Amino acid sequence: MEKREETCTELFQFGEESEIQSLMSVVPPPETGNSFTALLELPPNQAVMLLHSPEETAPDNFTSPVLLETPNSILPNSSPNNFSLVKQEPVDSDSVHNSSPNMSDPVISKSTKRKEREKNVKSAAKKSKSIANETDGDKLPYVHVRARRGQATDSHSIAERARREKINARMKLLRELVPGCSKITGTAMVLDEIINHVQSLQRQVEFLSMRLAALHPNIDINLDNIISAESGSLMDGNGNFAGMVSPPLSNQIWQPDGLTPQPLWGVEEMNPNFITPENSLLSYDSSRSSVSLHTNQLKMEL
Amino acid sequence: MYTSSMLKKEFLNKWIKGLQICCSSKNKMDLMERKKKIKLSADIAMASANKTATSWSNALISEAKKNKQDTILVSQLLGSKSPLKLQKSTNMIISIHKRVQCKKILKRSCFNAGKRMMKKKKKNLGISRSNFATTIAKRLVKKRTKVLKRLVPGGESMDEVSLIKEAMDYILSLKVQVDVMRSVVAAAEVLIDDKLLKLVE
Repeated sequence: MEKREETCTELFQFGEESEIQSLMSVVPPPETGNSFTALLELPPNQAVMLLHSPEETAPDNFTSPVLLETPNSILPNSSPNNFSLVKQEPVDSDSVHNSSPNMSDPVISKSTKRKEREKNVKSAAKKSKSIANETDGDKLPYVHVRARRGQATDSHSIAERARREKINARMKLLRELVPGCSKITGTAMVLDEIINHVQSLQRQVEFLSMRLAALHPNIDINLDNIISAESGSLMDGNGNFAGMVSPPLSNQIWQPDGLTPQPLWGVEEMNPNFITPENSLLSYDSSRSSVSLHTNQLKMEL
Repeated sequence: MYTSSMLKKEFLNKWIKGLQICCSSKNKMDLMERKKKIKLSADIAMASANKTATSWSNALISEAKKNKQDTILVSQLLGSKSPLKLQKSTNMIISIHKRVQCKKILKRSCFNAGKRMMKKKKKNLGISRSNFATTIAKRLVKKRTKVLKRLVPGGESMDEVSLIKEAMDYILSLKVQVDVMRSVVAAAEVLIDDKLLKLVE
């Protein structure tokens, strides 16, 4: 009985943590519940392992530097200690198997009491699912059959599980994209980093456009020169200078005529031709010759 | 998968087109106007450079089209790409957004009512750490997702699964945009410095 209680509470904790993700959705997460008997099937060792694995959080991650830097987030006044108990990203459970059970013991005792009293069906169901989800997504060798009493059909839980898996997988990819996110555990902090990154990128775009605007009163004048200069600088890097060189040359032909839709089509036709030779020949001179050839072609067309 | 270098090329081409369009229209422009036009052309170039029709790109383009001043620029830049599709997508987005907002309002009221009950229970039972922390964590995540939805164009009317995907796409293209713009600006600055030096000499 004690073991069961322990597992229950552990599940409770675990599920609550993953509730974070469930709350992200617009649609309210469906109440799910598996039969309580399924819980018994799970060997308690595995359950303990599962539950303890996400608990290994680095509490330092949640403290000041990340929290304070976010202008948008409204930080709660609670101490970071609370977070360490709760915020455990299921994604990282792979690396987290050797968690310290010591930390969870006092929590478990408290949570057991709570759980017994509250009998929070929703969270219970979610816990079960989350745990199951986690193991699914992380491909752990554990069998996760979770059940909460009084909870809904299995189809809901399966759907919920699948959804959570999707979200977790995508969050993983996102974390790889955003630099510095792989160390952070916890959905909220990762989201924070992502938001910061997006904001900084957007701000950079604005600043750069401001700089460009401030450079010269009339952008049109220097554009050709800029492009040719940039083509030289970017020669080794991107190899897109051929594409860059082409529009100004073509525009020199078109500008007296005014910009009509036809020239635009012409540019688009030219560009694929540019890209292919440019890929093979990275030298500036060769591309120049190809460019001149294409411009001649264009003149012929016009 | 779309490699970043290909994206860069496409983006640059389209951006240059857009810049030339916007510069040919007016001769005298304010700094802020110019900056806005530059940014707009960059954004639209970015959105259209995405061969795969992502929702954020559609949202960007549709937003730009709403603004009457910029429609000319947008239409010219896009060329003969199907405006109908964009129209449909904008309508869909608007309707979905309204639906989502209604749902959200309902949810919020229910949740808040439920929260109050929960809080009362908690107070009666004694606030346990874990539950308190979870609710706070949940709140945080909710807020963050809201912010992210605001940031990503067209993100308001998306569920979280697709939101994450859109965010990934958006971040990638933003990176490309920033790289290209930075190099262009750097080259332009160098060029102008050289010119100034030549003038001085």
